Parts: sequence; C-alpha cells; structure tokens
Amino acid sequence: MSSESLDSIDAKLSEMLTNSMRIYDLAMNCLLGDTNLDSVRDDLYSTDKKINELHRDVRREMIIHSAVNSRSLNIPLLLSYMTMSKDIERIGDYCKNLFEIAETGNTFTQGDELDNYIELRNDIGKLIVYLQSCLNLDDESKVQDLITLGSSLSTSLDDKITALLENKEKVQYPVATTLLYRYLKRIVSHIVNASTALIMPTDKIDYLDE
Amino acid sequence: MNLKVVKNLSFALFFLYFFLVSIKLLEKGIKTLGAEYTDQLFESVSNPFAGLLVGILCTVLVQSSSVTTSTIVGLVGSGVLSLEYAIPMVMGANIGTTVTNTLVSFGHVRREGEFKRAFAASTMHDFFNVFVVIILFPLDHITGFITRMAENGTEFIIASGFTATKPNSPIKAAIKWGSNNILDGLSSIPFINNLSENSYRIYAVLLIVIAIGLIFLCLKNVVSNMKSLMMNQIEIGLDRALARGGGLFAILIGILITFSVQSSSITTSILVPIVGSGILSIQNAFPITLGANIGTTITAVLASFVVDNTAGLTIALHHVFFNTIGVMIVYPVKFIRNLPVNLAVTFSNVVAKRRYIAILYVLVTFLLLPLLGVVISN
Repeated sequence: MSSESLDSIDAKLSEMLTNSMRIYDLAMNCLLGDTNLDSVRDDLYSTDKKINELHRDVRREMIIHSAVNSRSLNIPLLLSYMTMSKDIERIGDYCKNLFEIAETGNTFTQGDELDNYIELRNDIGKLIVYLQSCLNLDDESKVQDLITLGSSLSTSLDDKITALLENKEKVQYPVATTLLYRYLKRIVSHIVNASTALIMPTDKIDYLDE
Repeated sequence: MNLKVVKNLSFALFFLYFFLVSIKLLEKGIKTLGAEYTDQLFESVSNPFAGLLVGILCTVLVQSSSVTTSTIVGLVGSGVLSLEYAIPMVMGANIGTTVTNTLVSFGHVRREGEFKRAFAASTMHDFFNVFVVIILFPLDHITGFITRMAENGTEFIIASGFTATKPNSPIKAAIKWGSNNILDGLSSIPFINNLSENSYRIYAVLLIVIAIGLIFLCLKNVVSNMKSLMMNQIEIGLDRALARGGGLFAILIGILITFSVQSSSITTSILVPIVGSGILSIQNAFPITLGANIGTTITAVLASFVVDNTAGLTIALHHVFFNTIGVMIVYPVKFIRNLPVNLAVTFSNVVAKRRYIAILYVLVTFLLLPLLGVVISN
C-alpha cells in the first residue's frame, strides 16, 4: 500500500486539529475573556470552513487511494480515518456553538467559577494537542492515557450538567452554563472517539463503554 | 531507493525483457509454421470488418489491448500479417479493451446513483472508441492517410539512426540471445526435440502458444510491478488532475499514468470508482481516459523494436497516430467532445433503472456481435 498518500491523510488530520485548537481558543477566549466578538467572528468562521475543506480533502484522498490500491487496501485503517476526520470536524462545529453563547451576551468573565472555567479550558485544549501528538506515534499506551483523561473529564462535565439540571448548583447564567458544559462535553467526547479510532478494532470505535 | 522500489523495478525490467523475448519467440513460431499455413490462418481477417471484430474478440478474451497489439506487432514483424489486415485488428483492440472498466463499474451496482456515474464513466470510453473507429476506419481505409503517416514515421525513425531499429542494435542482440537460449532449452526436451525435427508444424504451434502465454504473463507482471512502483505518483497525479478539473493537463496525466503502468485498463478502471463516488465529474474524467488511449500505444512501439521487419514499427506507429488523431478530432470542439460523454450518461440513466441491460450490453457488444460478425463475414 502506498504510504505517501496515507502520510498525506495523516498530515491533513493533523492540520484539522491545529485549526480545531485555533477555533477552540478563539471561542473560549470570547467566553472567558474580554475579546471583541466582531474582531474574531470572521477568523472563527473561516477557520471552521478550513476544517470542513480539509475534511473533504481527507475523504477525496481516501477515495483516490482506494481506487488506486484496490487490491491491497487496508480497509480498517481507512474506516478509522473516516471516523476520526468526522469527529475532528465536529469539534469545529461545537466551537461555533460556544461562540454563539458568547454572542448572546452570556460570558463568564466574572464570578467565583472563572478559575474553574479557565482550568477546564486548558485541560480540554491539552487534550486536542495530545490527540494531535498521538496521530503520528504508534504508541498505544499514550492513546490509552488520552482516552482515560478524556473519559474522566467527560464524567466530571456530566456531573456538572446533572447538578445544574437538578438545581444543586447556583450560577449566574444557568442555561448558558448548561450549554457551555454540554458543548465542552461533546468536544471531549469527539476527542475520545477520535482517539479510540487510533487503537480500537473497527466495530468498537466510538463504543468505549460497551 | 528502498528495497520495495528495487524489487518492483527489477521485476518490471525482468518481465519487460521476457515480454520482448516472447515477441521474438512468436515471430520465430510464425516463421516455422510456414507461409502456406499462415496464409490460410489469416484468410479470415482479409475482410477489414472481420479483422476489426477479431481485434475486439481477442482483446476481450485476454482483457488487455497491449497483449493483442503486441501480438499483432509480432505477426506483422514476422511478415505473415500485412499492414492492411493488421490495422483493423488494432482498431478492434481499442474497442475491446474498454470491457475491463465496464466490468469494474458492476462493482457499484448496489447503489443506483453511484452505478449510474460509474457505468457512464466506463461506457464513455466505449462510445469514444466506437465513434473514432466509425470516423477513422473508413477514412483510413479509403485514403490511407494514417498508414502513410506511419510509414513516413518509420522511414524517419530509421533514417535518424535510432539504435533500437537497427538490425544489429544491442536491444535486438540481447533479445535474440534470450530467445535463442529458450529455443535451445526447449530443444533439449526430448519430446520437443523430436517434434522440431519431424512435425515442425506442431512444434511451431507449440512455440506460438508458449510465446502468446509468455506475452500475457510478462505484460501482466510488468503492469502489476509498475503499478506498485508508481502508486504514489498515480495518486498525486490524479489528485492534481482533480484539483485542475480536467483539460489538457488531465490528458497529460492520463498519458503519463498509462505510459508508466503500460495499461490503459488500469488508468480507466481507477477512474470508475472515483467517478462513481462523485468526487470526479464524468466530464473531467473524460480527458484522462483520452490520455490513457494515447499512453497505451507505447507497448506496441516497444514490441516493434525486437521484430526484424520494419512493418512491425509501422503498425505500432499507426496505433500511436490513430489514437492521437482520434483525440485531436474529438477533444478540441466542445460539441464533439460532449457526444461520447452525453451518450454514456443517457445510456447509464437507462441502465441504472434496468440493470440487467448492463450485462446484456457487455455480452452483446463485446462477445455476441463480434462473434456473429466474424462468422457472417467468413
């Protein structure tokens, strides 16, 4: 099987993650900082567009690769690329949703929880960078660590959402905060799903709990 | 250069050498058979239309126009098949080779939209080749203009002193050495030695069968090794052709891919799933197909370098000119260019609704009609 084309797909996935990190930073800075929304809007949407274009590039390259290498095709690998690229593309979409929370005027720049939000932002940002570093490494244990970190973060976000829904936690903007946690949880889930595609058998990708 | 590249390149060169040796063996077998018998054998293709149909049939059976055209070059080179009879057979090989990608399109039969696109991508090659044969076959038969171009080309190449065409060229010497060793090896087998002395015609037929088998086997291996070697370049080339959206660049990509893998079927069969998936439009795939039609002519040119008779080079050049002129007639004018594409799209719309027509189409066009035509014309 031609490895150069697969390297090219790896490079595109990595570029998608670089852009995902960028769009994530832009969106979170709008929510947690005093960034002027108008100044980042174009950048944020064009970054998302770039991610979508890269997603289509990955699909196109996979089709060409399959057509050329029809007799020596690594189908599980291509299916994992397919699911990974989709998961990474979704990160961009949820970052747009985060930005939309900021656009409604609900920001989290003040209050007791700010430090926790910043810590959460940093933790999730690290997961994106971690996933990117795992792409070119044939290191199962590193990916396993990423899945463990992501799963625990996901559980803690679930707990926060449940606490808000059960009115056990008092916050300034309950709806916006619930949405914030929900979108962050989805981002973490997509990072974990993309990670599972790196090491798990095709039929078990995305189904970590089962 | 990594080990895989060295392995593929070595195997490709090894099989290319034996491909040329097998052309020489074919020439030897035909000469051993004797003019009396070969004249009878090729009487059936004395009718140009029958020759065309034989060309289609042979190519469909071996699934490779390169095998057919190289064999024809060997036959012309040995002097038993005249240019006049060989030309329609080569044209038939052009049509017959398209059956491979039509069969590839059957892999998309489960999804209507995908099958429609894939079938159109494969049959546009059929329509193009039939279209060109309808125009150029009678024109060349009456005026002989492509034949004259090929003869002039042969004279020019010989006059220019191109080494491969000289009787004492190193290539010819190397091939002769290989074929002589194989002939000596065969003669050392008691059964064959006995045949070569007493029943020379059986020996000649055996030699012809071995030669054609070797041509098929060697070309198959040249193609598979070259494909492995060129995979990355093919992917890069197709990706660039996709980015540029067709045009002359796509024709060039088609020529280069086919030239490097020595098989138009590989190029066109790769296009079928790409068009089927919808990422390449049929209009943009068409020029790549046209390029493949030009690129595939190189195999016959290579084969012509080992035959003694210069008519072998002439028929190979005729193939080059015929396919190039065909592209020059069809591609520049949008209306003409769209004809084979639109016919293929219209036909695939019908076939996608009644998929059994696709099977009937292959059976009738590539087997029944040529068979019936050969029988009737004889």
